[in-house]
Amino acid sequence: MAKKFELNEVEVWDGNYATSQALRQAQVDVVAAYPITPSTPIVEGYGAYKANGYVDGEFVMVESEHGAMSGCVGAAAAGGRVATATSSQGFALMTEVLYQASGMRLPIVLCVVNRSLASPLNVRGDHSDMYLGRDSGWINIDAFNAQEAYDLPLCAFKIGEHLDVRLPVMVHQDGFTTSHKAQNVRPLQDEVAYKFVGDYVPVDDMLDFSRPVTHGAQTEEDWHFEHKAKQHKALMDSTKVIDEVFKKFKDLTGREYKRVETYYMDDAEVAIVALGSSVETATLAAKQLREEEGIKAGVVAPRVFRPFPYDLIRDALDKESLKAVCCMDKSAPGGAMGALFNEVSAAAYTTQSRPMITNYIYGLGGRDFSIDEAKRIFKEQKAHADAGHITTPIQQFSGVRGPKLGFFETKRGN
Amino acid sequence: MSRGVLATEKRGVRELGAEEKVGWDAVPQGVVLNSFDNILKENVSHVKPEDRDYSDFNSYTATVASWRVIKPVYNRDICIDCQNCWVWCPDTSIISRDKQMLGIDYDHCKGCGVCVEVCPTNPKSLLMFGEAQELEDALAMWPEKKKKAK
Amino acid sequence: MIEIRWHSRAGQGAVTGAKGLGTVVATTGKQVQAYALYGSAKRGAAMNAYNRIDDEPITNHETKMNPDYVLVIDPALAFTDDITKNDKPTTKYIITTNLSKEELISQIPALQDKADRVYTVDAIQISLDTIGRSMPNTPILGALMKVSGMYDLDFFLDNMKKVLSKFPQKIIDANMEAITRAYNEVK
Repeated sequence: MAKKFELNEVEVWDGNYATSQALRQAQVDVVAAYPITPSTPIVEGYGAYKANGYVDGEFVMVESEHGAMSGCVGAAAAGGRVATATSSQGFALMTEVLYQASGMRLPIVLCVVNRSLASPLNVRGDHSDMYLGRDSGWINIDAFNAQEAYDLPLCAFKIGEHLDVRLPVMVHQDGFTTSHKAQNVRPLQDEVAYKFVGDYVPVDDMLDFSRPVTHGAQTEEDWHFEHKAKQHKALMDSTKVIDEVFKKFKDLTGREYKRVETYYMDDAEVAIVALGSSVETATLAAKQLREEEGIKAGVVAPRVFRPFPYDLIRDALDKESLKAVCCMDKSAPGGAMGALFNEVSAAAYTTQSRPMITNYIYGLGGRDFSIDEAKRIFKEQKAHADAGHITTPIQQFSGVRGPKLGFFETKRGN
Repeated sequence: MSRGVLATEKRGVRELGAEEKVGWDAVPQGVVLNSFDNILKENVSHVKPEDRDYSDFNSYTATVASWRVIKPVYNRDICIDCQNCWVWCPDTSIISRDKQMLGIDYDHCKGCGVCVEVCPTNPKSLLMFGEAQELEDALAMWPEKKKKAK
Repeated sequence: MIEIRWHSRAGQGAVTGAKGLGTVVATTGKQVQAYALYGSAKRGAAMNAYNRIDDEPITNHETKMNPDYVLVIDPALAFTDDITKNDKPTTKYIITTNLSKEELISQIPALQDKADRVYTVDAIQISLDTIGRSMPNTPILGALMKVSGMYDLDFFLDNMKKVLSKFPQKIIDANMEAITRAYNEVK
């Protein structure tokens, strides 16, 4: 029986430590891991809890991240509650197995501490790894600060393991900005947290000898499509359970999470859509701009990146007051608009008001995102709004040295 | 055509791939295939395959006999029960009980000939014949022991 | 909002110091941030750590800050780092050095119009004398308590004891002595 961990009402934890505590409280049965910066302290923390008797589970050391996720798939198929953590190149090496986990409907929780992808090699945060995995069939939840890096893994187990969902869940947090920044965190006591997550209920587990099953079957053109269709339906339908779990978490803690978070959007004329810790910085910039210059700025943030909340994004942007929206992508776009721009544009196209939408690529490799930069972007949206058309290329780069970089002009309105 | 030893009402009753093609709403979650429809009351490893109540998802109920153009024929008179063919058969189609070779499962044998290759007796206890060859005729034309060249 | 920037070398305990300060401050009901910019830097590389302290939840995740206090815990960094970067007319500097305040300022042009806001303490020597190795992170916090008046010494010592509770009693006692000496010796 695992020892209870003494916790204060308020702790000062960084995002990594907060996440490791959530894994401990969920009493994860198996962590198979290959540590990588900046997510290392999550699995290191779990290993320390295991060594000191605070968890009853197993820590499996493997030879690579591919092995780590493979170990997780095996342990989950065998019938255990399973989690691990990774970043960047490690995430990239896991990618093949991520698709196996979701296709096999194994509710593994993967704590992703977002970091850029080489080359050039870089340990700091951007969303390259998050975007790499976005089609892998996992539920993707995004934490914006250390408190959320504690809260959301607890929710992730409850969502992924729900019998109506049975899908793996990633919980993202920004490398260093969140993972290595200590902030006030209000943890739950061990028994309260575990009661919230609940006992693990295995489904089709390989260790149930009264009902032997085959996992990882092969299908060709005559079956594959039906299985992928069923899997996609389960992912799209998981919104109901996600909403329910967020509601239960709010009832327990008072901390409210929504699939799409909105800040100052009631009367907003201009808005930023972003992910991660930038959401909080942009929201602070919006507040200051409202006070200092009367610019009605707001922020929209997909808390759940997959399944993408098209309905709630549409509703958040479907306002007569809203004229110009900037989607901020913290990942090198690789010859296209940023992913957030594409998704949000698709949702916004179904609104009555159809605001103007532009795309900024920013923050690559951990480039600092400042309040001043957020304000400048809000003001540029205001200029679009005042002119009645987009006055810049659709896609621009923000915070990069050298001549202005922009691509693709609109034919609308001017 | 012989279905080989220990054939049952369940074994090889449908052509592989001829199963009903259900829609996305009816496929099993996570591509998990149940070997049995019912909850088992005893450890299934203690039950012989011919006595197990396999589900339609288990390959026991499917047949690949039509894939075969030549087939192995087993000659009990020469076999020394070494189990080499049982070990090597890639389709678990050599049937053996208590280390005694019983014969071939012709519902699942694809006619690859590995069993013949690995048979150590002289002459071999397993030989490949045309699919249409009657077993009795095949045994009647079994070759003599080969003499070692001096 | 109080903002504090640490100038340190990786391995001198600036991150631990910043987190320790944050933990003590959080016990008084305030909101804190403690973070660092170091990435893949190895022991000995120059690095920054940061604290933010406020009454309201802190949502600014910008790394850059306009510090109210600059803590320089490696003597050489006062010369080689841009320690006055993004400062304010009120920014106070607490610098580890074996030089007198006047000697130090005379050698660093950037500090010459800020002499009344520069404080010195030999946190390296204090840590060598008390802890037995160069670990200037806790003594610099003693100096910060004196210069800022943030908390009185006894309160701070009591809470730092809790932060350091995983260490042997001998280490805790040595750190308490180091903090007290720096509190008394900072000029």
